[in-house]
Amino acid sequence: MAFIHAVKLEKRFIVREKRKKGTLLREKKTVHALQDVSFEIEQGELVGYIGPNGAGKSTSVKILSGILTPDGGDVTVGGIVPWKERRKHVRRIGVVFGQRTQLWWDVPIRDSYDLLKDIYRIPGADYERRLKELAEALQLGDLLRTPLRQLSLGQRMRAELCGSLIHRPELLFLDEPTIGLDAVSKLALRDFLKWENREYGTTVLLTTHDMEDIVALCPRVMVLGHGKKLFDGALGDLLSRYDTVRTVSVRYEEQAASPRLPASVPLVREGENLIITYSPEAFPTSEMIALLQGAGTIRELTVQPRNIDHLVADMYREMDL
Amino acid sequence: MQYRGAVLGGVICQVFFGLILIAVYRTLYAGKPQSMPLERITSYVWLQQAFFRMLLASDPDLLDKIRTGGIAYDLCRPLNLYGFYYVRIAAQKLTGSLMRAAPMLVFALLLPKGWGLAAPATPAGLLLAAWGLGLGLLCVSALENITMGFTMRTLDSRGMQAMLNLLMMIFSGNVLPLILFPDSWQKVITLLPYAQLLDAPIRLYTGEAALSEAPGMMMIQLGWTIVLTALGVLFWQRNQRRMEIQGG
Repeated sequence: MAFIHAVKLEKRFIVREKRKKGTLLREKKTVHALQDVSFEIEQGELVGYIGPNGAGKSTSVKILSGILTPDGGDVTVGGIVPWKERRKHVRRIGVVFGQRTQLWWDVPIRDSYDLLKDIYRIPGADYERRLKELAEALQLGDLLRTPLRQLSLGQRMRAELCGSLIHRPELLFLDEPTIGLDAVSKLALRDFLKWENREYGTTVLLTTHDMEDIVALCPRVMVLGHGKKLFDGALGDLLSRYDTVRTVSVRYEEQAASPRLPASVPLVREGENLIITYSPEAFPTSEMIALLQGAGTIRELTVQPRNIDHLVADMYREMDL
Repeated sequence: MQYRGAVLGGVICQVFFGLILIAVYRTLYAGKPQSMPLERITSYVWLQQAFFRMLLASDPDLLDKIRTGGIAYDLCRPLNLYGFYYVRIAAQKLTGSLMRAAPMLVFALLLPKGWGLAAPATPAGLLLAAWGLGLGLLCVSALENITMGFTMRTLDSRGMQAMLNLLMMIFSGNVLPLILFPDSWQKVITLLPYAQLLDAPIRLYTGEAALSEAPGMMMIQLGWTIVLTALGVLFWQRNQRRMEIQGG
């Protein structure tokens, strides 16, 4: 059986609505946070978990990490039902909730790690080795002696990751770990995750809104919307369905040059540039180039694939999310 | 630095209250002497002020964790959650009150008779008082952990805490030494857990309570500690089963 095995997961929340005028009691509404969600994840996989806000991603992570009991369905992680044998289960997992902190606010982060060492009963020598390794990979160095409250967001996220991995978990849940990070920190974080996954075969379930995270890290992606699983497979397969349009930007030597394109291909003038959006399926690229060349001397021409965020937005729209 | 400042502030505040209370009692006694000798009253006041910190619910960190969902991380640790919180509460109370009590008691011992802290009535009384305080710490921590349990349900501790603190102040002898309550009241009050937290150990120290009363007091205290802890554990278990960490 797969390492993580989830069958027909279901979770409902009861939301009390604001009292309507003229009624005594507030109405209750049931929100289906998860409906009939099933999946399997093998050991050592790096799986991306995407979906718009409120799709149920965090809810499923909470169930998988054993802190929330589902209303229906079965989950086993390495043969254990997370919420039934919570203490046994959580020993093997590491969690980073990007919005919260697990380290102690006022003390040097090294002291927080020492406490985690005691909580997980990590043997001294092993702990030192692991801490050294993580501190190096995450470039913590001097930060170990700094209280958490003085760290920048990027530094803090690195410190959090170190904290969640110090006990060598087999399974790591990351809930938006790159939120609010600058480009350098994001790249460093991704490199680190790849390294950890390759080196120790740590299984990673990554929740994010940053599609670059998924592209860089996850061969497999699951899409969740309105509490249902909508897609499970390679990111490329998912996007190729939506990735049908190219944008061409042309600049002519002659200001007035205006290529005659079919009416179905929109053309917009932006300063000196002409922006043309077309679909290579319907209108072959070679034909397009020929038409453009016929209209004048081209000084500059760029072809751009669509931005991945736009693709995902299209996808969400089509899935009616 | 701010920690030292906070401790110093606490000490000064408590010393100030101690002096005022003693002045009040002195005025009262100047009018009509009460059943309890003045030196005992002043000792009572000082001990009580010194360990005041132990009684009050006071860990905003833990409450914040529950309120903001930071408790999710604690749930991800291979620990008994009730125990984890209990230990934190007890540790805070212990270090908080020891840091304050030490300088204050030294100060009080240096004050003249009739104002300051008298030596313990008997060495055994001192030992029993210390033991009683320790037990009181366990008991009050159990009580506070039940408040935490309520906070998990209501997400706001203020109402519950205000009520419990009020009960605590009155029935632990913080407003008025319990011995000065009417006799009929005292019978009930001494059976409550609050009475045993501070009042009983202090009375053992001053000699107001005979050493032979100690076992009875300890039994009540121990009984309450067991009952309150058991209640807390059950309550937390129930909470944990239906807990929802809200928000993403």
